[in-house]
Amino acid sequence: MSQPLSLDAIGLPGRRHEQWRWTDLSAIDAALAGHANDAAPDPRGWLIDGVAGPVLLFVDGRYCAAGSDPQQLTIETSGGDEAHVLSRLTRGAVGATLRLGAEHATRGPIQLVHVATGGPAHLHHRLSLAVDAQASIVETYVGAPDSWTNVAVDVDLATGARLMRTVRRLGAGGVHTETLHAGVGQGASYMSTSLLAHAENVRIESQARLHGAGAFASLDGILLGRERQTYDVVNRITHDAPGGSSRQTWRSVADDQSTLSFAGKIEVARPAQQTDAEQSVKALLMTRTATVNSKPELEIFADDVKCAHGATVGELSKDALFYLASRGVPPAEARALLTESFISDALATVGEELVRAAVTADAVGWLRGAA
Amino acid sequence: MARNQEALAAVDEATGTYKWGFSSDIESDFAPKGLNEDVVRFISAKKNEPEWMLDWRLKAFRQWLKLESPDWAKLQIAPIDYQDAYYYAAPKAKPTLQSLDELDPEIRRTYEKLGIPIEEQKVLAGVEGARKIAVDAVFDSVSVATTFREELLRAGVIFLSISEAVREYPELVKKYLGMVVPPRDNYFACLNAAVFSDGTFVYVPKGVRCPMELSTYFRINAANTGQFERTLIIADEGSYVSYLEGCTAPMRDENQLHAAVVELVAHDDAEIKYSTVQNWYPGDAEGKGGIYNFVTKRALCAGKRSKVSWTQVETGSAITWKYPSCVLSGEESVGEFYSVAVTNNRQQADTGTKMIHLGRNSRSTIVSKGISTGRSNNTYRGLVRVGPTAEGVRNHTQCDSLLLSSDCGAHTVPYIEVRNPSAQIEHEATTSKISEDQLFYAMSRGLNAEEAVALIVNGFCREVLQQLPMEFAVEAQKLLGISLEGSVG
Repeated sequence: MSQPLSLDAIGLPGRRHEQWRWTDLSAIDAALAGHANDAAPDPRGWLIDGVAGPVLLFVDGRYCAAGSDPQQLTIETSGGDEAHVLSRLTRGAVGATLRLGAEHATRGPIQLVHVATGGPAHLHHRLSLAVDAQASIVETYVGAPDSWTNVAVDVDLATGARLMRTVRRLGAGGVHTETLHAGVGQGASYMSTSLLAHAENVRIESQARLHGAGAFASLDGILLGRERQTYDVVNRITHDAPGGSSRQTWRSVADDQSTLSFAGKIEVARPAQQTDAEQSVKALLMTRTATVNSKPELEIFADDVKCAHGATVGELSKDALFYLASRGVPPAEARALLTESFISDALATVGEELVRAAVTADAVGWLRGAA
Repeated sequence: MARNQEALAAVDEATGTYKWGFSSDIESDFAPKGLNEDVVRFISAKKNEPEWMLDWRLKAFRQWLKLESPDWAKLQIAPIDYQDAYYYAAPKAKPTLQSLDELDPEIRRTYEKLGIPIEEQKVLAGVEGARKIAVDAVFDSVSVATTFREELLRAGVIFLSISEAVREYPELVKKYLGMVVPPRDNYFACLNAAVFSDGTFVYVPKGVRCPMELSTYFRINAANTGQFERTLIIADEGSYVSYLEGCTAPMRDENQLHAAVVELVAHDDAEIKYSTVQNWYPGDAEGKGGIYNFVTKRALCAGKRSKVSWTQVETGSAITWKYPSCVLSGEESVGEFYSVAVTNNRQQADTGTKMIHLGRNSRSTIVSKGISTGRSNNTYRGLVRVGPTAEGVRNHTQCDSLLLSSDCGAHTVPYIEVRNPSAQIEHEATTSKISEDQLFYAMSRGLNAEEAVALIVNGFCREVLQQLPMEFAVEAQKLLGISLEGSVG
């Protein structure tokens, strides 16, 4: 497919469309006019130290064989997904492909780093795990001004498979979009944690379908916004089979004039009895000019289910700040401490300690930068 | 025909207009089928409206032609042919029954369960000759209305039909009509603005506590307000009024399409309590027939410390599309929404509220209880918005759903949009079913399955039912039990 030259040419649904009501991807226009910088920084700089496992490096949508160590993974070209307006654009793009059987576990978490230097870059990853296979992947996307990274991810988990995804958005500026489709089989688990920051516009659209009995999915994340950044996360978890469970834990910190939006929908189909779904969405507004939108949505067609969602929006507790002040903690430090503990809930499911420490450090770095 | 004449005569007496013309040429009181500017003019002329009112309607009508029917609600609505309906009076008079024995035994049984007196049953069922007796014995509309009106007038409260108000208090109506729900607000409100048949107008002057609960029940021509009701309630500084709308008894109505608009305005320190029990015909078990209920209800808490409280018990209608809302622009104003929505068989309800916080320290509470059974769908859809200048806003939302069958659906779609950090917004939602243990316990104490379910459901809805005025609450409890019949066992 020929690449569009402007945002209008992509034909995104407008704000009148319920799923796009809070989305702002206007920075794509600048990115489409942007140019890649030949003197790209070494993507290896963003690898998490001490994590042993396959390494895949990409710059501006191109695979860098030098420095990569794909092991069981292959780099394949995408056919695109006609059904979705954004993943359609990944046709012809490359991405990591993993087809893993239970007997071929990776040595450690897979690390994937993509560095964008300018202009649009498309990636399409396919991760499919056979019966009882297990894998963990850490994806790091480094943005730059006037860049747009558009990622499509297809996940297919067979019976008893387990996949853990950790996504970090680092760098400075640019647009980040991601469209995920995950199919979760019987007794399989899909877990993802995303740290979204440092981008002008973000839109993450995830759809997890729990089609096997007793499947589990957790989609967690942290949104950190400042300046005029606009982030929008749209999650849809569909329970199609009995006994499934799902969790969503999202924490947002909105500073300056940023707008952070989260819409999470839990769908429970008729056969999905004994579903246990939970969603916790909390946001902190740091300034009076920031905006937070949430839409924790439930659609339930089965009668024997446990579904709960909770959403809060507010500022840091004055009592807690006063307490810390009374113990001699400087105000900036107190705010940082409380905000760190606020976001930590969303990092609980990251399994590997090294990865969790790295993501926590990224988040804390952002927060301290704000203080 | 006889019934219509009687009804018109009653309107006649109450309004003191239309002395001539009705009985001699009754056919012309029905606008021709379809909707066009002539029909709008016809309605306006029939109501003897001043020029400005007609202009207002026409403007709305022209706007309506440009609007599209909304499709965002979780409702499956067969396309509505707006040209295949009558917009003034109901030419298809309800079939007149000779006696209650001819009445659908299902409806009769419901009346009995609600404990409705036999004469009142006749009125509701439209039994020939019942009206007069009922008017005297049960409602005594003319005298009741007059007595009440005198008492209200002494207090200074204006309580009229909106057509009367247009003639008698044009300045007040002109000032407030469309202030909260402008004609172009949405498709159905726009339609209503063009063709509204009648409705209620209430004005409570400064510092007056309305001496009684106002109810459509007591308004003489309430039975004929028809499908496009328009209600306007204004509470001036420091006043209080409680308004009850609807009726617990299932109403027979041949009009499928209902599009009402309710506007409330509360000034400084004023309080309006608006309670609704809606039990229009829901259609049969297979979903045939039933009322389409598209209602726009909105309150403007314009004044400091003003308060509006919506309470609704929705059990009827094939389709409910209704979002009673509060625009909280006054400082420290308070908005409340308490709702019970029950859907059975093939009913669909998409209902909820909007709380728009614009004033400092404004507060709102939302308690929504959805109960679905049969093959119905029940959706809570709500919005809590906090404007950038609204400091210290507080909102608590609780949405609970109860599923009683394995073929029904319960959905929750809350929107939260916050632009001020000092806001404290909380939202909680749960979905559950009645546990076997609860049922077993209730039945071991001697209740049958249906009684046990009714008991548990009433407990589930207690927070909302408590908000209803006493007499309404008792009836609403019984109504819940009846609405859920056939959902167990």
